[in-house]
Amino acid sequence: MIVFTCEDTFEAMMTCIYEAWSSKAGHKNIKLKTEPIGNLELFCEYRHTDGDMEKCRKVIRAIQQKISRRAYHMVFRCAASEHPEKLDIIYRFLLLGFYYGSRVLSMLSHPAVMAFFELDRKVSNETHLFREFTRFSSSENGVLSALIEPKSNILPLLYPSFEDRMPSENWMITDVNRRLAAVHPAADETYLTSLSADELTLIRQDYFQQDIYTDMWTGFFQNIAIKERKNPACQRTHLPLWYRKYAVEFSPDPDI
Amino acid sequence: MEIIKSTLSLTEKLNILADAAKYDVACTSSGSDRRGKKGFLGNSCAAGICHSFSADGRCISLLKILFSNDCIYDCKYCQSRCSNETPRATFLPEEICSLVMEFYKRNYIEGLFLSSAVCKNPVYTMEQICHTVYLLRTRFRFNGYIHVKAIPHAPAELIERTGYYADRMSINLELPTSEGLRALAPAKTRESILSPMRQIQDRISEHRMLTGKDPRLERSSANRYLSGTIFDTAPSRKLLSETPAKTSAFLPDSVRADRSFVPAGQSTQMIIGATEETDFQILSVTQALYQQFDLKRVFFSAYIPLNDEPGLPPPGTAVPLLREHRLYQADWLLRYYGFRADELLSTERPNFNPHIDPKCEWALRHLEQFPIEVHTADYASLLRVPGIGNKSALRIVKSRKSGSLTFESLKKMGVVLKRAQYFITCKGKTLYPIRLEENYLTRQLTAEQEGYTRRIGQSAHENWRQLSLFDDMGLK
Repeated sequence: MIVFTCEDTFEAMMTCIYEAWSSKAGHKNIKLKTEPIGNLELFCEYRHTDGDMEKCRKVIRAIQQKISRRAYHMVFRCAASEHPEKLDIIYRFLLLGFYYGSRVLSMLSHPAVMAFFELDRKVSNETHLFREFTRFSSSENGVLSALIEPKSNILPLLYPSFEDRMPSENWMITDVNRRLAAVHPAADETYLTSLSADELTLIRQDYFQQDIYTDMWTGFFQNIAIKERKNPACQRTHLPLWYRKYAVEFSPDPDI
Repeated sequence: MEIIKSTLSLTEKLNILADAAKYDVACTSSGSDRRGKKGFLGNSCAAGICHSFSADGRCISLLKILFSNDCIYDCKYCQSRCSNETPRATFLPEEICSLVMEFYKRNYIEGLFLSSAVCKNPVYTMEQICHTVYLLRTRFRFNGYIHVKAIPHAPAELIERTGYYADRMSINLELPTSEGLRALAPAKTRESILSPMRQIQDRISEHRMLTGKDPRLERSSANRYLSGTIFDTAPSRKLLSETPAKTSAFLPDSVRADRSFVPAGQSTQMIIGATEETDFQILSVTQALYQQFDLKRVFFSAYIPLNDEPGLPPPGTAVPLLREHRLYQADWLLRYYGFRADELLSTERPNFNPHIDPKCEWALRHLEQFPIEVHTADYASLLRVPGIGNKSALRIVKSRKSGSLTFESLKKMGVVLKRAQYFITCKGKTLYPIRLEENYLTRQLTAEQEGYTRRIGQSAHENWRQLSLFDDMGLK
């Protein structure tokens, strides 16, 4: 068994797929994994691949032309997942896709396609939930700042919706775990940037400074509930505790 | 009164007027698809976005507030009626605008839901509402979602003007029948509710036709695979030819040209359980509203006894949450599943079974149509299987083209078999050997739904408690 490994970036993953495909070792005899690799397996040869823009482009072009653009979007989303086997799931799907073409997207009962779709659903759903539950706080100079701690690396999927929503504001969204930020200056394009530990601490401090609108929102949130219909189970189903970390309306008492 | 009002802070006003608005049901931000614009704040997403969920489990999508709760009417079911002693407050239009802008920037809300009690008179109230949304769209450059209530007895001109700034308008039907309305809300008449509704409908279809769309609103795209839904059997109204005078608008063409009129359609809501209507009556009214007024949604609101009034359930009566839930389920069956009201209920069986959902109930009465084979059944009949919804039915239809299905692969595709297993076969076999017999299936299905119905109907059984040998049996 040959295991192809690569860093957890989109470019490296696509290159890894390229190398695995062209190794001609037989699809049954290879596996793809993202680093870090935890336990090494016996009788396996580990081959590390580095990201290569040229090969990455070739794979993207192949997916778009031989399968479809929709398939490429799905691959991009799946690559953002935190599933340890994601790269192998993507690879197995692409094998089928290069054989069947765009028809593969309706072969929902094939195990490889099922796994791929499930991964895609998870990432899309998480992106959507953060679209709902991300909260910005406003600093004195009018810059809006939000913190998120998603399971998957959804920031690149999330920020375009805010770009459309608030085109003429200054805002930034920070992924605390990955120390990654999407910054949108009012008059310019959004860009992704990684942050140092010190920068993150500063941003965190700023975030928890509350203003009058935070209080008004919390007041509104409490008043809008009908006490005769109280239903915490239903509330938890729609808004799991996991997502309440930075939702200001819950901070004083998570049970309300 | 004036002195008290002027001393209220914005926070206090917001608390009072949010509290007064909480009985309005609709908090949806769906139906409008609008991209963001440079220099403006906001966009709108067709599916709608919820931003939080309050302690009662209802979604918070919009800043749901009343403009004022200082009402001149005395509707018997209402908290804000003039004979109740509650704190009164009225916003200024600019205050609402700044709240919306600041909340929207922080991603708390998707837009504004503005309703109002009738303050001074209907004309004044509607004027203030109209002015608020006008400011929001022009001076504050807000491009997000706006849902506005039309006030009964408000002049047509104001309602129309408001419609050009709103995404959705609604006017509350309040009670399913006109007798109920006469008894509980003497200041409102059926006519004063239906005529603005008709006016908004006419304007919407006129505007849609001018922009090259079908005069009727879009419905679920999967409805095109169904035949005989309530929407295609709806009697069509010839709009322009019949009523040429009404289409002349109050506003100059320049204002109307670059704005769309209520793109997300209109909705309404009615109170369930305050009067004696049956589920069949309510559902028939709902269907008629969809067909004749082309409403986008009809909302139900379980009656919460707030006032001690003769002829109304006394305070402390359990809120009919389960009944409301069943009606919503049936409403979905009308809009997405191709059912009609008279298929689900009849004058002989006028109410839904609380123990079992409407679709299961229908299937149990039509066992002759089951089991159906997933490989050959058409989309419409798959949709009628309890437990199979739009997504599952589409997935089945799509994937069976490229290979045969098993119960295992159905599960993996995301089709939930809990209820569906009793009604479908895969290659001629059911999942388990089962008898297709009404009593047996009813027992199976009610057992499965029991926990669920108990949770929803919880407040109906508040007198249930743990048995205690010491207190109840007198053991010491």
